[in-house]
Amino acid sequence: MGNLLEIKNLKVEFHLDERVITAVDGAYLNIKENEVVVLAGESGSGKTITALSICKILPRNAHIVWGVINLAGREMLCLNENELIKIRGKDIAYIFQEPVSFLNPVYTIGEQIIEVIKLHQGKNKKEAYEETIDLLKKVRIWEAKRVFQSYPHQLSGGLNQRAFIAMSLACNPKLLIADEPTTSLDVTIEKEILDLLLELKNKLKFSLLFITHNLSIAQKIADRIFIMYKGRVVEEADSQELFKSAKHFHTQELLSAYERIGRI
Amino acid sequence: MKNTYLITGIAIISILSVIALLAPWISPYDPAMIAQDSLLIPPSAKHWMGTDSLGRDLLSRIIYGCRISLIIGVIAVGIAVFLGVILGSLSGFYGRFMDTLIMRFADIMLCFPTFFLILAVVAFLEPSIINIMVIIGLTSWMGPARLIRSEILSLKEREFIQAEKAIGASSARIIMRHLIPNAIGPVLVNATLGIAGAILLETGLSFLGLGVQPPIPSWGNILIEAKSTLGIAWWITVFPGLAILVTILGFNFIAEGLKKIIG
Repeated sequence: MGNLLEIKNLKVEFHLDERVITAVDGAYLNIKENEVVVLAGESGSGKTITALSICKILPRNAHIVWGVINLAGREMLCLNENELIKIRGKDIAYIFQEPVSFLNPVYTIGEQIIEVIKLHQGKNKKEAYEETIDLLKKVRIWEAKRVFQSYPHQLSGGLNQRAFIAMSLACNPKLLIADEPTTSLDVTIEKEILDLLLELKNKLKFSLLFITHNLSIAQKIADRIFIMYKGRVVEEADSQELFKSAKHFHTQELLSAYERIGRI
Repeated sequence: MKNTYLITGIAIISILSVIALLAPWISPYDPAMIAQDSLLIPPSAKHWMGTDSLGRDLLSRIIYGCRISLIIGVIAVGIAVFLGVILGSLSGFYGRFMDTLIMRFADIMLCFPTFFLILAVVAFLEPSIINIMVIIGLTSWMGPARLIRSEILSLKEREFIQAEKAIGASSARIIMRHLIPNAIGPVLVNATLGIAGAILLETGLSFLGLGVQPPIPSWGNILIEAKSTLGIAWWITVFPGLAILVTILGFNFIAEGLKKIIG
């Protein structure tokens, strides 16, 4: 089976006033169809920047110096803004860490999901409404109509994250990128969200790129794991293999940290 | 939580708006009707606010003047806010060259004393109601523009804007649907105060004879006529003055109330 996404030799720099900081330096990554890949590493190792590079939604002062990002045969770095707009949200969707701050406070959940549907599918209001309610039910929100009319600040973190997942799945993306989606949630909700993501993945057949610093999550969900350290991918392994024999010292560090916490 | 300011302000302005809308039906006399036999009559049962030196009923003139003042205030500020929001959001969102260009232009505009700029322009153009609205609008967009710009500068770095990019929204869409609605609050407060300012400006211009031209009654030009009869007919000065006071107070109350809501 071919790769859905392939990143090779990616280098991203941040241009500050006088200095240039290299955030990602020669990262590589590949994801097959219907596969769960975890990108793990300590904070500041370039995981998020690598993920944001895929759709070029980097901060303004970040520049992709070189690299190859190939999504289903299309060279992402060669596309212009108008072509990218059609891919974002449709072929690739993102979920972020803090759902409340990633939702617009002045619109209801429903309005925001409808916006995605309208942007990419050109459906009319009624169809979009019905589809939104369906989506909210798909992510196991039982009071779909109430959540539809609620503003983000009126809902709990877990509900917001579910709603956000519904929004990102609105257009059946081929690739879902989840950037630490459970870090801001408590442990029980974390488990529910992870189960939900895996279930939806099997049902809707998308690939999942999951970013985390928590190897216990990685072990639970990953088919393959990439470890990043200081802007480079330092280790790539099947999930089971990695936990038996970690090669790079940073992987061992992460593992020992996880084991130490696990023992408490 | 009761917002007394907002409620009082809205009550005052609603009453004034109703008066302005219904002017032809509720004013007791034709505001331009000159009556030789009733010059400078003090307030009485027949003329509640008295008459002026040409025998025109003051109450009717103030009611019609209310129309002019509110229309000028609202439309002038409408123009200013429209321009300000567009220029300010372009400036804040795109930054760099666009920002420098628009904000330096705003700085230049702010360097001129507005009133004298308007006086100079009015001296060349015919002083009509439309001209006055447009000129006031064109010379007061800088405040809203700066407010919107500063709001957008911080909003555009917020995470939900990144999320909007991630779902494939274009820049225009992000500005119109996501940034402006989040940034509009302080501008609304500013605009309400601006209406009061625009009404005062119009009154001042009319008082100098460069605003609304007689025989159309405006609060400003009633006051010019009052000037010459101040010693013998106090009512011609006091009532238009009170009308201006109440209107400005009303708008300032609304602004104060909105400020409390928006925070």
